[in-house]
Amino acid sequence: MNMLSDIQDMPASPAMVISPTADTLQSRLKPIGSVSRIFSDEILSGFRAWPIWTVMAWDDIRQRYRRSLLGPFWITLSMGIFILLLGVIYSRLFHSDIRFYIPYLSAGFTVWGFISQTTNESSMAFSEGQRIIKQIKLPYLTYVLRVVWRNFIVFLHTVVIFIPVAIIFRVTPNFATLLVVPGLLLVCVNVTWAATILAVLSTRYRDMPPIVATVVQIMMFASPIMWPVSSLGDDTMVAELNPIYHLIQLVRAPMLGTVPELLSWLIGGGMAVVGCSIAAALLVSKARRIVFWL
Amino acid sequence: MASVILDDVSVNIPIFDVSRASLKKALIARTIGGRFAESGSYLTVAALKNVDLEIHDGDRVALVGDNGSGKSTLLRVVSKVYPPTSGTVNVIGNVSPMFDATLGMSLDATGLENIQIAGTIWGMTRSQVKNSIDDIVDFTELGDYLKVPVRTYSNGMMLRLAFAIATVRDPEILLIDEIIGVGDINFFEKAFKRMQRLVERSRIFIVAAHQDDILRHICNKAIWLSHGNLMEFGEIDSVLLNRYRASQAAQADAPERETATA
Repeated sequence: MNMLSDIQDMPASPAMVISPTADTLQSRLKPIGSVSRIFSDEILSGFRAWPIWTVMAWDDIRQRYRRSLLGPFWITLSMGIFILLLGVIYSRLFHSDIRFYIPYLSAGFTVWGFISQTTNESSMAFSEGQRIIKQIKLPYLTYVLRVVWRNFIVFLHTVVIFIPVAIIFRVTPNFATLLVVPGLLLVCVNVTWAATILAVLSTRYRDMPPIVATVVQIMMFASPIMWPVSSLGDDTMVAELNPIYHLIQLVRAPMLGTVPELLSWLIGGGMAVVGCSIAAALLVSKARRIVFWL
Repeated sequence: MASVILDDVSVNIPIFDVSRASLKKALIARTIGGRFAESGSYLTVAALKNVDLEIHDGDRVALVGDNGSGKSTLLRVVSKVYPPTSGTVNVIGNVSPMFDATLGMSLDATGLENIQIAGTIWGMTRSQVKNSIDDIVDFTELGDYLKVPVRTYSNGMMLRLAFAIATVRDPEILLIDEIIGVGDINFFEKAFKRMQRLVERSRIFIVAAHQDDILRHICNKAIWLSHGNLMEFGEIDSVLLNRYRASQAAQADAPERETATA
């Protein structure tokens, strides 16, 4: 008798006739609107809606920190304390030189924070926007980009901590440091496609968010973020096979003044191409259904 | 030129069982291979059935029908929120839905910030927002209150602001779901005038409401929906009359049910 309670939660006008229908057969038999038009309406227009998702993202940040003295700089402060404490303890644990370990940890952890937070929050992208989704037609990508942009702003607040760290531990900027720009861009692209896929799937399957949260948490320990790759000894396969490692390297290595390996660029770029194609295909094929899943 | 053309449009809204929406169930259903008779199908509600409509420039359309007759669904189809399950929807002109005036309002932001946030979500550009601020300040009479978070507003103040932001637009096709009551009596008249001006600026206006006398005043056409079917679309007076007659006839047919509910 779940049905009764479902009718009450329904998005639209109440029931008149309730009849079981075969899946989405009807909509599959009669595809309305060509794929290219949906692509343009959902994806291209999604990027073009930047005034909307940037305003929404800033409002999210403001709401989180309104009336607090430090505002978003709370993120900076807590990250600073975290890195200081962990840096002192873990550098001993891993028999790592603290002058290497603390810059390594602060660079890696801020990038990881961006990747993991976006991934986690993306599963709520459509549900947090459902009031708008049910009233105004905006491209679905708008809500995904709002999550990505919001977390990018948070990332910019945390990465500030790297500046004093770099000064104290004498990480001198060089030409390799400039690679942080393309590296970060590639990370953003990868995070965006992953967020798009997770946003769509989590709206349909409500078990996805806890699954994602679990995987993200495991990946934090399984990836070389808090531990240096060198602590693995000669067999670095566990790190090399981990795509998260390569993504983090694309930003962390330039921050530490070194050039990321070619393999990291190839994996980061390859994932971006494949991932974006899958995400675009998924969003285009499900764009007509998402509102009914909310 | 603005127009709304619906050709044989049906909308089925799926209802997801809580258990059906879970990934585990989907995986189990897949691996067991259709042992559950209903796997791959779910309940759907036919919210609109084979609706044909042509609305053109200058039409002020009242959407009438009982609760659950498909009025809101029809408005959502026109605003592209609901894609039709079958049939085609052709809308020319930009659509401005006004289903919930407080949409996009953020409680912790100030009144002025809300004008920017909500205005942007309603599709206004930065400069349009800027240009509209004076008008909104003027209309709401909120003065310095606009500089404090709307969290501190009374209900009436909140509604004034929301209403002012929502009505500042220049819509080609204006959609309204239920006529909103705004605050105190003095303000109501002002709000009503502003609403009328908004309606006059629009090329096509579609409103779903239950107050027949108000509708006769502001609309020239009417759509009568019943159980998702389009019963009639035409001049407002004849549609309202036919609907009234039909309900009288239904009451005469079922006197015992009438007494039971009364």
